[in-house]
Amino acid sequence: MRRGALWRLFYRASLADHAYKFLFRPGPEGEAVSLDCETTGLDPGVDDVISVAAVRIRGNRILLSERFEATVRPEDARSSSEAIKVHRLRERDVEGGEPMRRVLPELLRFIGGRPLVGYYIDFDVRMLDKYALSLLQTKLPNPQIEVSSLYYDRKYGNAPPGTTFDLRFASVLRDLGIPPLEQHDALNDAVMAAMAYLALRDMKARGVRIRRERSGQGPPPTGG
Amino acid sequence: MQSGFDAHNPPFDRLSQTEVEELRAALDIGYFRPGETILARGGASEALHVVIKGSVEARDEGTLNAVLGPKDSFDSRALVHGAAGEDFTAAEETLCFLVPKPVVLGLIARNPGFAAFFYSEISEKLNAFADAHRAEGMESVLRARVREANPGPAVFIDADATVEQAGHRMAESGSNVLLVRDGARTGVITGMNLSKAAVLRRLPLETPVREVCHFDVVAVDAEDFVFEALLLMTRHDKRRVAVLRDGEYVGFLEDIDILGLVAGNTQLIPGRIDRARDVEELAAPARDIQAQVERLHRQGVKVEQIAEVTSDLNRRLFVKLFALLAPPSIQEQGCLLLMGSEGRGEQTVRTDQDNGLLLAEPVLEADLARFREAFSGALDGFGFPPCPGGVMVRNPVWSQPLDGLVRQLRVWVMERSPDAAMNLGIFFDAVAVAGRADLLRDAKAALIGTMRGERALLARFAHLIETFDTPNLGVLSAFMTAVGVGSDEIDTKKAGTFPIVHGIRTLAMDRGITATATAGRIGALVEAGAFEPEFGQELVGALRVFMAYRLRSQLEAVRRGDVEREAVVRPSRLSAADRDILRDALRIVRRFRDTIRNRYNLGAF
Repeated sequence: MRRGALWRLFYRASLADHAYKFLFRPGPEGEAVSLDCETTGLDPGVDDVISVAAVRIRGNRILLSERFEATVRPEDARSSSEAIKVHRLRERDVEGGEPMRRVLPELLRFIGGRPLVGYYIDFDVRMLDKYALSLLQTKLPNPQIEVSSLYYDRKYGNAPPGTTFDLRFASVLRDLGIPPLEQHDALNDAVMAAMAYLALRDMKARGVRIRRERSGQGPPPTGG
Repeated sequence: MQSGFDAHNPPFDRLSQTEVEELRAALDIGYFRPGETILARGGASEALHVVIKGSVEARDEGTLNAVLGPKDSFDSRALVHGAAGEDFTAAEETLCFLVPKPVVLGLIARNPGFAAFFYSEISEKLNAFADAHRAEGMESVLRARVREANPGPAVFIDADATVEQAGHRMAESGSNVLLVRDGARTGVITGMNLSKAAVLRRLPLETPVREVCHFDVVAVDAEDFVFEALLLMTRHDKRRVAVLRDGEYVGFLEDIDILGLVAGNTQLIPGRIDRARDVEELAAPARDIQAQVERLHRQGVKVEQIAEVTSDLNRRLFVKLFALLAPPSIQEQGCLLLMGSEGRGEQTVRTDQDNGLLLAEPVLEADLARFREAFSGALDGFGFPPCPGGVMVRNPVWSQPLDGLVRQLRVWVMERSPDAAMNLGIFFDAVAVAGRADLLRDAKAALIGTMRGERALLARFAHLIETFDTPNLGVLSAFMTAVGVGSDEIDTKKAGTFPIVHGIRTLAMDRGITATATAGRIGALVEAGAFEPEFGQELVGALRVFMAYRLRSQLEAVRRGDVEREAVVRPSRLSAADRDILRDALRIVRRFRDTIRNRYNLGAF
């Protein structure tokens, strides 16, 4: 998943519009951007981004007041009914959006060279890469910080073999005591991922682990 | 986008929709490590913190004042006055919304309800929050039951009686309407019907009532809501409706009765007390005084005003009862005392009766014995719970000649037991409500003469405030309840009211101040330079907070029939803003206790 130096070099070289060179420079010290996309489906090859949100993180602050939020009007694909169920953005809502060719430049300027934080962030980046490739002949070169793997380290990093892993976003939030906001809203998801990131990063710095429930201590079977 | 910020959480519930949007747009989120100091005491803050998750400890020089949890906000003092009142430290991984200071200040300037949360003066805070608890007002009136509106009595007359007899009947019963019995049917005749019959139709006075009354009686049940009665009145264009209970006519509800409900009919009670001809007739207004407390509270009247109205009415009641029961010898020689909270005028819901009788000269023992029993017995009957400490006319210690009581007071002064100190305190609050007020003046002068400036005696007296501890709100609620030991209950009387009342009482005795109300004593103490006016105001404010919270829990206890725990407040069931006020009030009490402790060197005990 890590993008190697060679990749970065390649995309930097192939960058069509040199106004975007800033993407390849490291962002301001201690800053990151938490990002989330809502899409029409789970296949970056076919599906489209219909909304995207990002919030900057500076030190231990989530700069919610400087958020980036956009609804994207897909230029071709129709939102699949499955995806509508997931994020409740209907075609009508998407109609009011902007096409990606307008959204992306603003988003990239918002992100700059900062690392990207998210839950399953690789998926969001791959979705965005699709547009970036066609518009700028580049991919997003930003380092990625995966919340679920930070969580994995804190909780399952030393787990004995046979442990069942549960990396669902809801479980991450529950273990960290973060009140769940309404999910599948790009901004809420980005904010929750940012909260989880700050908590996990700090726990890592302090060497604090998340307690695992022992197997067999779950709720007793109810027989029905 | 919701962003998880709960705008229903006080004080944000006072913001308009646009103001909420403005606030949401400006929010940031901060993460704090366990042990990280979020705000240091005396420091300024650039944002109002609203806890999202985690917990934050508020400490005052090491003393844990509170543990703040989700939805609690801090620190209004740091924001508005530029100096935090406490140290705020994250107790665990904590996330907070950060509302930027300029946004908060802007909202404070525009929205007085919101601004109230940030006043440092607890009394101002409380005043503004009284609006939030604004009781249902008119709504509560319409939701009252017909019986609560005190409908007038049902007076019957036979259908064969004459118009003239009906007129006399109305005059005798003081009612403007009669029910007419005509075999199986029932009719109604009003004063207006009589006038029309005699004046307009020139019917002879011998005309039977049957011919001028009407039989289409509009009636409601005593258990119906007042608004139903009001609807019937409007629909039938009537100014009164008959009241039924179990199918029987028991009275009439008039539009004026409903008006009485709106204003509370406190103004009617003195008249009814005055008109009572015996103890039995006094029982109804005595009960109404108590019913008034709940009604006034429901209508959003402030607690100190409720206390004032109630104590005024109670005093009238005592005066009347004294006049009814005391034989001439006692009326001439005696002085009826109200003591304790009744004497201070700070009682709302009746908790006990603290009363006594001072005599100039001994009176006939038989007279006195009969009076003692009759007086205290009557109060029992009116629903005044007996005083557990026996501070009642019934107790010979509290109904004796002046010189006897003065001797008794000296004994208590020397006895140095908590009970003795309590008795002195109760007596020091006494007011004379009937008879020879000079007797009380003399007795109090004797007490003050013994105590004034006597550090050792006063210290012994003041030591009573150490009886109960003043808890730190939040410590119990957050930890103890969480781990299941103890509970989050706060006894507002022990933790709040008593330390203030008794501390102030001690200072008043020290300086020979004769006012009895705690607020009045505080005023006199401030004037005498005992402490700063601001601190005096804070104490009065704190006292009112405890009175208000206690009244709420008392009314709740009365409803549940659990009067033992009438003073108990559970912070976990309060809103964040209410907890904030209670926390402020408890902090003031602790400061005041320290003042008293230092002044009388109570650490030496």
